[in-house]
Formats: sequence, C-alpha cells, structure tokens
Amino acid sequence: MSGRPRQPRWWRAGPVPTAVLLLSVGLGAAATTGHLAGAGEVRQRPAVPAPALVGTTLAGDRFDLAALRGRVVLVNVFASWCGPCRDELPLLVEAAGRWSPQGLAVVGLNLRDGPEAVRALLREADADGLTVLPDPDGTRAVDWGVRGVPETFVVDRAGRIVARQPGVVTAQWLQEHLAPLLAAA
Amino acid sequence: MTRGGLAGRRLLVALGLAALLALAVTGLARSAGPGAHQDPVRALAAELRCPACQGESVADSRSPIAASMRQAIADQVAQGRSPEQIRRWFVDRYGPEVLARPPLRGTGLLLWAVPVVALLGAAYAARRSLRPIRTPGAPRRRRPAGRPARRPAGARPGPDEGSTPGRRPRVAWWLSAVGLAVLVAAVAVAADRLTPPAPPPPATDPAAVALRLARDLEGQQRYDAAAQMYREALRERPDDAVRLRLAFAMLRSSDPAGAERTAREVLDHTPDSPDGLLVLGLAQRTTRPGDAPRTLRRFVAVAPDHPAAGEIRRLLTS
Repeated sequence: MSGRPRQPRWWRAGPVPTAVLLLSVGLGAAATTGHLAGAGEVRQRPAVPAPALVGTTLAGDRFDLAALRGRVVLVNVFASWCGPCRDELPLLVEAAGRWSPQGLAVVGLNLRDGPEAVRALLREADADGLTVLPDPDGTRAVDWGVRGVPETFVVDRAGRIVARQPGVVTAQWLQEHLAPLLAAA
Repeated sequence: MTRGGLAGRRLLVALGLAALLALAVTGLARSAGPGAHQDPVRALAAELRCPACQGESVADSRSPIAASMRQAIADQVAQGRSPEQIRRWFVDRYGPEVLARPPLRGTGLLLWAVPVVALLGAAYAARRSLRPIRTPGAPRRRRPAGRPARRPAGARPGPDEGSTPGRRPRVAWWLSAVGLAVLVAAVAVAADRLTPPAPPPPATDPAAVALRLARDLEGQQRYDAAAQMYREALRERPDDAVRLRLAFAMLRSSDPAGAERTAREVLDHTPDSPDGLLVLGLAQRTTRPGDAPRTLRRFVAVAPDHPAAGEIRRLLTS
C-alpha cells in the first residue's frame, strides 16, 4: 500500500471544500463578466414618450413641447456655468439654422442658472434666437432623467425620445440622429 | 481525555457560538439601526445614488443634478406622495441603478450567496478536520491511503492522540475562531466611530460657482464673459473683492468707463484701496487722461510695495 503514489494535498482536503472553492471562483467570474457585459447597454434605450415640457421661455413666451408634435425637437440641457455647454452652443445654433426649414426645433433647457448669465452667453454665442426654457431648480431636468450637463435629447415627430447623448454632441452625432428623422417628413 | 473534559469543551463551543451570535446581532442592529432619518426628504435622498457622481448619494453630493433631485424629492413629499411612489418615479427615469440598495436579483444575489456558500464550505472543512481521527493501533501515516477510518459512535480517542500532529489543526481552528470573534467584536464596537457625524450639507453657493467660472474665462482671455460672470457673482455677494475683479475684467475687455465706475464704487467704501486706485488710474488713462497721473501717483504713494508699483512708476516717468 505504501508503494501507491501519494495523492496531492488538495485532493486529500476532500472533494467538498474543493467543489465549494471552484464554485465560488466560478460564480465570481460569472458575476464579473456579466457585470462587464451589462455595462455598455445604458446608452440607447427604446423610444419612450417624452415627458412634458411646459413653461415660460427666457423671452417671456409660452412654451409647450406637446405643441411641437409633428416636428423633430432637439432638447439640449445646458447651463452658462458649464464650460462644455458653452462650447457646444454654436453647433446647436448652426443645426437650428440648417434644419429648421425641414421641421427641426431646438430648445435649450437651462439648468439652475441666472437669466442674466444665460442672456450674456446667448449674446456671446450669437444664439439670441434660441428658445430657452429656464429650469431654476432643476426639477424639469430630473423629470427627463438628466444625469449631467450638457445632455441632449432627440424627440421625433410623434413626441418620443429616440436618442439621447450624455455629454457634448458632435456634428456627426447630430447628422446621424437628425437627418433620417427630418428626411422622413 | 476524560468525560469531564469533553463536557467542558462542549460548553466552551456553546459559549463561543453564543458569543459570536450575540456579537453578530449587535453589529447588525448597530448598522441597521435608525440613523438621523427623521427628515423624509433626506432619508429618501440618502437612498438614491447621485447619477453624476462616483459612489455618492443624492443626499451627500454637491453636484447641481443631485441638488435638483433633492428638490424633486422635496416637491413630491410636499405633494403627499409615498416614499415607495417617489422611489418608483426615480427608477422610471434613471433605471434601477439609481437605488443605493437595488432589489436583490441576478448578479446582486450572488454577492450574498457566495459568502454563505463559502462559509458553509469552511464549516464543513472545519468539521472534517476537527473530528478526532482514530485508527486503533496504527499511527496516521501508516494508515492505508484513502479515507480515514471512522470512529464508532461513543468510542474514545486513543491514548496517544492528544500530542500527535492531529492536535495542531485543532489548535489552528480554535485560534481562527477566536480571531474571527475578536474581529467581529472589533467591527461591532468600532462601527459607530467609523461613521463621522454627518456635516450639514453645504448649500451650493451660486456666487462661488460664478466666481470660479469667471476666473476660468479670464484664463481663456474672454474678459467680456468673465465680467458678466463677476456681475452675476456680485449680485449674490456684494463684495469689494469681487467688485475689483470685475473692474479689472472690464478694463481688459476694453470697457474703461465701466471699470472706472466700478473702481469708484470700491473707493467710496475704502478711499485708499490700492487696487481700486490702480484700476481707476489705468481706466482714466483712456477716459480722462488729465486725471490719470494724479490717481496713479496716489496709488504708488499708498502702496509702494504693490507688485504693479514698479511698472506704474515707470509709466509715470516716461
């Protein structure tokens, strides 16, 4: 009997602890990879009806998103105290000028800001014509599920959010998400 | 080993288990006990994760979005909505990950299952190695390979067993158990002291934000916009230091008239303010060149050690 090869130590520890250890490692690995795989899917969700957006604009006019049904609406959440928002503004103004004949409306939801600072920013960016809806306490933005500024939503002609971009939008992003909607008039 | 020794050991085990259980319950009670949760808005905010931050709750974060979310909670509490309704409202907008404690499901469940499975496995291993091994008449090494012989129920351990290597794992197990108990006790006792008393959430100060932004804009040489931000800040915080920064920004954005006006406001409060005199003098070089040298000379007289004094002296002599 002593001539029989000695079994490795881990085997002598018994099959149950070994199985438990392997199971734990396996579950841990599964949890980690599952988590990693799930992380990238936050961005684009299926189209959902846009929350209401009603109020008085910076210029003193009445604004109701529902009244823009039939047009494509770009809702940009911004603030004058946010540097990237300031940089992004000229692009939005350009998009408004370029696509409004085809039915695009651009509205800025101005998060926790002062009217004077916004007016100064609009003047500086040559964006005086932009529709700006003040959101002094930020609750409108929270109703839209905004995670930070800037954030941009595309609302289609049926009033559904079909795209959202946390962070700065690029000309390419606008082209990709607006052009198809505007072409299908 | 005597029967009394065995009973004594059983008592020890029972006492050890009781102590562990008591400590575990104490620890749980301390960590789950009611904190400072009288305010329903704060309690709900503490349950929500700030979507713009890393590992901060809506209650603790200073980000504007978290402030907005606190406002949304307060509004809904004021409307008489239940905490559960408010929680669901946020989940609808931000997804289930907005909850600091998401419902147990999928991988989250594993976080609880894995330690339980591991503990059960450890307990089984402990039981196996703690069980006295007895092979009558044969020392351990000579035993046929394979599983150890089981002791018949009620049989006593062999006389030589106490001092053999079989005893060592047992001591190790007991030491580990005592160590674990001490660890749990330490955590249970220290848990309270580890959480610092929550400081009152500092209100977001719009003036501070405006000032920071204005300084950034100045760094980018956008003095017009910076002056605008200083004006915003000034409305929140009428302060001569801010007024001086505004005056400097106006001077640089080629608005000497505005700079002069602002500098004069400062000098109305403190007639000998060196910076006030400096901006006023520099502005006057454009608006009324006749008065500028007098103001600048006064500046040099009031603050001969000012960083700009040497430059101004040169300007005056040229």
